[in-house]
Amino acid sequence: MRPAAGIGLRAPHLAEIGRDRPATGFLEIHAENHLGGSPARQAVERLREIYDFSVHAVGLSLGSVDGLDEAHLGRVGELVKRLKPVLVSDHLSWSVHGGHYLNDLLPLPYTEEALEVVVRNLDRLQEALGRRVSIENPSCYLGFVQSTLTEPEFLAELVRRSGCGLLLDLNNIVVTAHNLRLDPRDWLKALPGEAITEYHLAGHAVNDCDGEPILIDDHGSRVGDEVWALFGDALRRYGPRPTLVEWDTDIPALPVLLEEAARAERMIQQARADAARAA
Amino acid sequence: MPLALRDLQAAFAAHVVGGDRADLVAAVVGDSMSAEARLRVYRHHVAHSLGSALAATFATVQALVGDAFFRSMAQGFIGQTLPTQPVLDEYGADFPAFVAGYEPAASLPYLADSARFDWALNVAFHSPVGRRLAAADLARIAAERLPSLSLAVPEGATLIGSRYPLDRIWNASQSGATAGTVDLDDGGADLLVLRRSDDAAFIVLAEGEAAFVAALIDGKSLEAAAEQASHADPSFDLSTVFARLLSLEAFAALQQRAEGEG
Repeated sequence: MRPAAGIGLRAPHLAEIGRDRPATGFLEIHAENHLGGSPARQAVERLREIYDFSVHAVGLSLGSVDGLDEAHLGRVGELVKRLKPVLVSDHLSWSVHGGHYLNDLLPLPYTEEALEVVVRNLDRLQEALGRRVSIENPSCYLGFVQSTLTEPEFLAELVRRSGCGLLLDLNNIVVTAHNLRLDPRDWLKALPGEAITEYHLAGHAVNDCDGEPILIDDHGSRVGDEVWALFGDALRRYGPRPTLVEWDTDIPALPVLLEEAARAERMIQQARADAARAA
Repeated sequence: MPLALRDLQAAFAAHVVGGDRADLVAAVVGDSMSAEARLRVYRHHVAHSLGSALAATFATVQALVGDAFFRSMAQGFIGQTLPTQPVLDEYGADFPAFVAGYEPAASLPYLADSARFDWALNVAFHSPVGRRLAAADLARIAAERLPSLSLAVPEGATLIGSRYPLDRIWNASQSGATAGTVDLDDGGADLLVLRRSDDAAFIVLAEGEAAFVAALIDGKSLEAAAEQASHADPSFDLSTVFARLLSLEAFAALQQRAEGEG
């Protein structure tokens, strides 16, 4: 797929997109919202005839020490087989323990033990889907004392051992870096760039935690200035990739979302022009 | 001593649903923002996101009791029943039973039935449309075989009976509904909840119709179902009721094999 900017496809916009078919690079859906036979699933299948799709899972729980839920894996596999998306992804996190699903992207300690667990689960996922899957860096609100690797080191090693792709979420980098007192530019530097398959952009909220500001990855506003700036850095360092603008809470009118994607698209084109001039 | 990943995940899972775990707190880096405060972000998100998922599925219940009451009731449910898989529109099958036994809602006796109705709408919405039985399908079946025919309701359909007027309660809870009161002594409701092409919907059934549909769901033949319906309502007329339900696409198409035989 030509690197272009796309939007997250959300229920309030389904009818409008089906009717007006606005120009956008691609549409991304959350796998877990489209596994049944709902009207939304039917609408997605119709839109698939017009748009490129990305299937973004939020519930595979790749960091679970107990392995993957084979029933859920089967359902996601069926969706992927049906939609033939350009990209498939999930997160570097876990959400299932003891057969209970906690509906959050919970953090992993970055250790050799966790690395082996994620690689094992990723191997199973990529084998079941018969394709490469990309892993997204999560938003973190805490770190573990026992971590021996940084998050970028952990991701790089994951790529090396499993052959997975990287979904680089610039908003998550900004959120994690702020919350864990890291420099987002340092974070960005140390990645295997050729493995990056997609960028994510979104807005975050600033809440109070123990009397201090904490950034919360709520996907509920426009992309912030710091995230746009970091996106510019990523484009210069690693080059253009398909780029998604996500908006999941307080979802705005469709034109607002498309405006954000248009801004990302202009930055992608600028980066391409700059690269051509430099070559 | 670092926690093994298995132990760390067990402690984290317990902590986010409210069981304070000192071993987990000790494993988290704390600075001017304490480990406890950082863990609270996850605890809050798990509670809030699951509460929101239940609010989306049980929209009538939420409209009836208001957001604050609903959230508190939902937390009680989440504390005893977590999802067992990540598809959240499949979470909450046991919520109506929880509502029925929820002491603070005891003065709202219709609330649990409204929750059952919400769940039925949710199940129907996420079910495939499926082909429906049409008059033309029946024309291909020999007349003498009709009485022994078994009919199924569409996939994801639910028959709901309540001593409260659930359909009017539901109507009144819709956004934009004109203000008015629903008389709870106004009689109950029998509803067949089912998937329509672009939404979930329901058919309001008369007493005999409800008995008829219930018998068909039990696997009874048309003839036996009609007999059962006549007991419930002596004025039950099979041909009128059958034509009405057929026109409302209340039955699933016959299985391929039966069609072939016809």
